[in-house]
Amino acid sequence: MLARADRGRLAGLLAPAYLWLTAAVFLPLSAMLWFAFLTDVPFGGREASLTLDNFARALTNPTYRILLGKSLELGLIVTALCALIGFPCALVLAKAIRGRAREALFLLVILPFWSNSLVRIFSWAIVLRGNGVLDSAVNWISPWPVDVNLMFSQSAIVIGLVHSYLPYMILTCYLALQGIDDALIEAARSLGAGPLRILWRLLIPLAAPGLIAGAVLIFVPVVGSFMEPRILGGRVGTYFGTVIEDQFIAVFNWPLGAALSFCLLAVVLVILAIAAPVLRRAA
Amino acid sequence: MAEVRVENLTKRYAGTPALDDVTLDFPDGQFFGLLGPSGSGKTTLLRAIAGFVTPDAGRVLMGGQPVEHVPVESRQIGMVFQSYALFPNMTVAENVRFGLDVRRVSGPEAARRVGEVLDLVQLRPYAARKPHELSGGQRQRVAMARAIVTRPRVLLLDEPLSALDKSLRLDMQIELRRIQREVGITTIFVTHDQEEALTLSDRIGILRDGRLIAEGPPRAVYAAPPDAFTARFLGEANVLTGTPEPGGLRLPGGTLIAVPQGTTAVAVRPEHIALSVAEPAAHNRIQARLVGRIFAGAMGTCVLDWHGQQLKVTDRDQDMAHLPDTGPVWLSWADDKTIGLKD
Amino acid sequence: MTLRIAGRLWLALVLFFLYAPILAMAAMSFNASPFYQLPFTFSTEWYVKLAGNAEILAASWQSVWIAVVVTVIATVLGTAASLAFFRYKFPGKRLLQALLFPPIAIPWLITGTAMLIFFFAIGIPRGAPAVIVGHVALAVPYVIVVVSARLAGFDPLLEEAARSLGATQWTITRRVTLPFLAPGVIAGGLFAFAVSFDQFVVSYFLAEPGDMTLPVLIYTAIRKGFTPEINAISTIIIVVSMLVMLLAARGFRFGGDR
Repeated sequence: MLARADRGRLAGLLAPAYLWLTAAVFLPLSAMLWFAFLTDVPFGGREASLTLDNFARALTNPTYRILLGKSLELGLIVTALCALIGFPCALVLAKAIRGRAREALFLLVILPFWSNSLVRIFSWAIVLRGNGVLDSAVNWISPWPVDVNLMFSQSAIVIGLVHSYLPYMILTCYLALQGIDDALIEAARSLGAGPLRILWRLLIPLAAPGLIAGAVLIFVPVVGSFMEPRILGGRVGTYFGTVIEDQFIAVFNWPLGAALSFCLLAVVLVILAIAAPVLRRAA
Repeated sequence: MAEVRVENLTKRYAGTPALDDVTLDFPDGQFFGLLGPSGSGKTTLLRAIAGFVTPDAGRVLMGGQPVEHVPVESRQIGMVFQSYALFPNMTVAENVRFGLDVRRVSGPEAARRVGEVLDLVQLRPYAARKPHELSGGQRQRVAMARAIVTRPRVLLLDEPLSALDKSLRLDMQIELRRIQREVGITTIFVTHDQEEALTLSDRIGILRDGRLIAEGPPRAVYAAPPDAFTARFLGEANVLTGTPEPGGLRLPGGTLIAVPQGTTAVAVRPEHIALSVAEPAAHNRIQARLVGRIFAGAMGTCVLDWHGQQLKVTDRDQDMAHLPDTGPVWLSWADDKTIGLKD
Repeated sequence: MTLRIAGRLWLALVLFFLYAPILAMAAMSFNASPFYQLPFTFSTEWYVKLAGNAEILAASWQSVWIAVVVTVIATVLGTAASLAFFRYKFPGKRLLQALLFPPIAIPWLITGTAMLIFFFAIGIPRGAPAVIVGHVALAVPYVIVVVSARLAGFDPLLEEAARSLGATQWTITRRVTLPFLAPGVIAGGLFAFAVSFDQFVVSYFLAEPGDMTLPVLIYTAIRKGFTPEINAISTIIIVVSMLVMLLAARGFRFGGDR
């Protein structure tokens, strides 16, 4: 075990960060759990008592269940699209391109990911609206006038979310694929395997941790998203996340918001719990 | 089963030739050892035969048919890689069956053939294990099994034993040879270890800087290497340079060695030299100074200084026991052990 | 062969998809039309107007100085924690390392609203201090990941050698470890800056209506209706963010070679 002096130093190094995390993340989550059981916000002279009403409403009200389903569906669609679009990209980057070009292209793919997501969604709003860039581009090509206005639709939301989260999937798949020894692919070829067989029996199984990690990194935030649905979806953009946002910003029913948040958290934790052993085994 | 032939094979990387106009025959059913220092092009040659490398010029023929434009997948080869390249996500049995799956061999038939070949490499009890649960030697055998179960036309081995430690290596060399003899596939084996090549091969070819410099049965190449490099590379050799004269080669110190015209140096293997304190009767004799002795169990090596050059003589240790620790000694050897070199 | 070509084509298409809207937005910021309509007439009018827009400038400044403060704090906290993980083995290490994930893994919606509730409950008002607390909590895990990656290349025997020569722990840290760590710390700092500067969700819940960070301002402006200056400032933000990340990536890599 550690010497006393070392224990002191260890504590000194770890304490600040973890105390901060406790104060800023773990305690708030506990506070939110507490709030979920209150009837009203217990400050400013208002009465508050414990109740299960909020959770009851959250779980039984059909609107919330429908919206949760809608959010989960959105999560699945976006994750699936990111996987279908991103995996081939990662494969090309990891196996078909070498050296300087590969580093540069990889950086190019990752860079937008690090810019402000709000601003990127805003840029899609510009492109997708009527008389916007996409509309003008299509009209410029097509011989007859076409009205292309994708804004305020589910498609716009999906496009915006895929755009935001695609780099995650490319990154995780790239890291997984890069770790696959080239000799394995050569061995498969020497045994007569064509590209599809190599993909199906070798690359996807071995890159599975990357796909799953990417899926988790994408599915979880998408299920809780509200900014993208609001901006790109307008009236169509009501999802579980926007409802939670409303409770805190517009309706001021924080306890209900807290209860809804916890339902979302429960879903997220279930997903993480399922994915964790697979990811840990690969690590 | 097929014979393999490469004709005028050339491959350049950034201007330097990795393979320089190499023509070589690999006879059907024989074990051919490709030997050479690193960078000699032997691996490039193997990969060109496999199809991973497209030659800049020349042809590759299998069973008489040109295959330069046939992709790797269609060449019906079996290949064992230096790292074995076993598929980590599959069991031993699944690894071995992979090639059969590609050829759409049905369940029972495939299982039978997999079992057969696993028996051949003596790994049937391990069929359900994954590669990471196996030792190096076991992985090597699985790689062999996987390569031969599809009955390929030619078996290509890329330094398959270099990752193993010495004692295991010797055992595996015997195994490898046994398997190859039983199955009878044309086998091309790349190694940088000349002892290994000599032990295993029916024929050997030596590459240097992309060129083929020697080729033939191991004994023949060993007994008559074409140049000093090969003489030194294959076994050990003492290379003695001298001045050509009408009667032969005049060595420093006066001795005249009878050799054909044009010979500029002679090589004599350490094991063919006899040492004596008194001047010997043989024609081929030189005098040198004994500077050291190396004891290696049954055999021993004497190190000598001859006009500034280091020479080595090996013999049974008990036969050298009578020699002094230092001082002048005579070296002599029989006529037929003189290797003439024309460098 | 055709597979290679198809693969590269796909990559090119994806890159086009990733950059097209950003480039379109940047182009539009130089368009005279206030409603993002074509045809395109070049004008720097909106950037000029931007310079005079007090609200946007205030929010920009707010975002920047908050990000700077967050960077300093998060880098110190994160580097310290990384050193702790590197140097010592102790029970519960795995658990502590796992606890770094919730801030990143849980949707920021949940973390943000939870912070809102908690700060309200203990009496911290909405505003810059709350935002800073929130941002640091989100940035620290990233700093730890980056610095730990750099530490992975550091030989622990160097510290032991220094110790055997009689140096104190602080001296060792200052003169042996930190110089090596510097590129990792800088990269971690740049990450922290990016996380804070770009952060929207948490800022949204914790900021005061009158004293917003830039992303929050943009969001409310979009909800109300476009103004072209938003386009201009958005372009600037994206360019700045990408440059910062480019620096981080370069510095990180080159630091690794040294």
